[in-house]
Amino acid sequence: MERKIRVLIAKPGLDGHELGARLISRVLMDAGMEVIYTGPRQTAKMVANSAMQEDVDVVGLSFLGGSQKEHTAEISRLLKANGMSDVVLVVGGVIPPMDVSPLKKSGADGVFPSGADIVEITKSIRDLVKKKRKKAVTA
Amino acid sequence: MAIEKAVRKTRKPSTKKTTIEGALQEWETKVRQPSIASKPERKQQFKTMADYPVKSIYTPLDVADIDYLKDIGFPGQYPFTRHNTPNSYRSLDFVLSYYSGFGTPESGNKRFQELIARGGRAGVATDLPTQIALDPDHPLAKGEVGRVGVSLPSLADADRLYANIDISKNGVSAGVSNCIPFYGLALAIALAEKRGVKVKDMPLAAGQDDPLKEYTGRDTWIFPVPIAIEIATDNREYVAHYLPPMKQARSMGMVCTTQLGWCGVGAAEELGFALAHFVCYIDSALRRGLTLEEFVPHMDWHAGCDMDIFQEAAKFRAGRKLFAKLIKEKYHCDNPRVQALRSTCWIHSQRMYAQQPLNNLARLTMTVLASYLGGLESIATPGWDEAIALPTEESTRISNMIKFIINNECGLEGVVDPLGGSYYVERLTKQIEEEAEYWFNRIQDMGGAVAAVQKGFHYQEELKGTYRERQQINSGERVVIGLNKFRIEDDKMPEIFPGADPEDERIQVEKIRQLRERRDNKLAKEKLARLEDVAVKKTKDDKVNMVPAVLEAVKAYVTVGEIGSSLRKIFGEYKPAQG
Repeated sequence: MERKIRVLIAKPGLDGHELGARLISRVLMDAGMEVIYTGPRQTAKMVANSAMQEDVDVVGLSFLGGSQKEHTAEISRLLKANGMSDVVLVVGGVIPPMDVSPLKKSGADGVFPSGADIVEITKSIRDLVKKKRKKAVTA
Repeated sequence: MAIEKAVRKTRKPSTKKTTIEGALQEWETKVRQPSIASKPERKQQFKTMADYPVKSIYTPLDVADIDYLKDIGFPGQYPFTRHNTPNSYRSLDFVLSYYSGFGTPESGNKRFQELIARGGRAGVATDLPTQIALDPDHPLAKGEVGRVGVSLPSLADADRLYANIDISKNGVSAGVSNCIPFYGLALAIALAEKRGVKVKDMPLAAGQDDPLKEYTGRDTWIFPVPIAIEIATDNREYVAHYLPPMKQARSMGMVCTTQLGWCGVGAAEELGFALAHFVCYIDSALRRGLTLEEFVPHMDWHAGCDMDIFQEAAKFRAGRKLFAKLIKEKYHCDNPRVQALRSTCWIHSQRMYAQQPLNNLARLTMTVLASYLGGLESIATPGWDEAIALPTEESTRISNMIKFIINNECGLEGVVDPLGGSYYVERLTKQIEEEAEYWFNRIQDMGGAVAAVQKGFHYQEELKGTYRERQQINSGERVVIGLNKFRIEDDKMPEIFPGADPEDERIQVEKIRQLRERRDNKLAKEKLARLEDVAVKKTKDDKVNMVPAVLEAVKAYVTVGEIGSSLRKIFGEYKPAQG
């Protein structure tokens, strides 16, 4: 049987509006995934370390305070540098439309701005994990 | 006359006593139910926005248990249901004020001057490093400097922020400083002294000083909860005992339940929490020997406000009544100045959607109207672009104009509490009042607001509310135009704020390093050491007031990060429970 999808939900940076992160954690748990939530005030290094320790399939970053580009790029870099390029990286929260493309270029596999459908987010995450797992098998 | 004769002719003489109850029953059976058969209702159950079930009609039967003089009364008089002042908007107009600023103090100054030139007053939004007492060059501040507000790490920065601004007219504020209230107050006093402005003449708005708010979803906390409460009380004590009577001591004691409101706990529960938070702060101040008159009149309830005009009006009416009752019955105070609760709000920002965002202008209007019908004295508005980026000047201005349009153009300002007497609103007010008392008692039974925070109760309730609403949006039970009805996939985006200049971080890092080199370091070191002594004393007796020592440190150009670092070592840092 395929193993459950393990997700790390993190809040990088200083913004502490956590409800979105907590909400998505609950939604993904209800959908049968294993979710670890880091809590607020995470540095990029802390997020990458947690991802490695918890051996997750997905890292989800939640932003409000405007630091999404810097943190996403750095976390993506750290994950790759530590042999975790298989990890699906998704970003959500208050993301202006002009940031979506730069975020994808710097390593985000999915971007879910404010108002994104929680059912669609769940499905997207499943699909992205499936894709990466397939790639890993055929590699 | 002919019409009256005709009416008299057609009116059937009543042969039996017609009660409202009987007539209602008949109407339900003979008129309403048949109409549903041909025109079905759109929902099984209709509710207010907080999910309180509602009936199709309210009648005198629904207010039979309500006594006008006891429960409703007159505005400006116990129980203050109708308004905390006798004349409400007949005398009040709003103050044009913007919560704004970003980037360096120079960027903030530029924006402020533009806003002031247009006749407004600038209130400061500070960046996250400032709010949690970190200097711009702190490792955790990377990528955060000037992003959500102005970087304000020292008195020198405050001076630059208010360059060429008459602070005797505009006042000085340090925005949201719930965990560093002494800093906001110190900046205001120090800057006034520097410029020869009498502090008592300034419209002082030192900043929001409600630490409880920070542990419940906003998370710009620093210290453990109990000491954070005492730090806020320091401010209230200082203002009461050391500052001359303030012209307008705004923002000195807000109890802010916006996070709770926006996270869908519901109107009554939000009010219950508010009362518990008031009790926490009042008790702390009473322990210091402050009298209620010395600080309570400065406190206001800063709530979230939703679009449901009847529910929110009822909430604020119930709020005034319960607060007055609390002061009278729990604190045995009959002084109307103390009993009268001034209420303000920040519009429900989670209702500003990113999809078809200009629709939010309609939502803003509805919410401002709801606040207005609730009699709020100050209404803070997000921009229509809240879900996407920081507001532009234009979106800030438009949002602000809404309340002036409502208070000046629409013929609404002449009648105090115009919804009073509505069967629906009076019933809803009573309902919210009773339910709020339930939540208040529940929190008090838990040990009060601090205990509830530490048990994670606030978070538990917020997540419940948020989750419920989200599920409702998903299922379509909660309709959001543009999101789950009339959604457009390639929605064009109007102009939004491009974001703070990343160069601003580099500038602020450079400037703070220069400050540390150029100031009188012997003096700064001495003042910081003095502050540390006082803080250590405070760990032994939490009633020790830190404000004078902070003021001296701030005047010697000790930075907010240095203050934060010292106090973190002495008080410890709050550790949130893993969720």
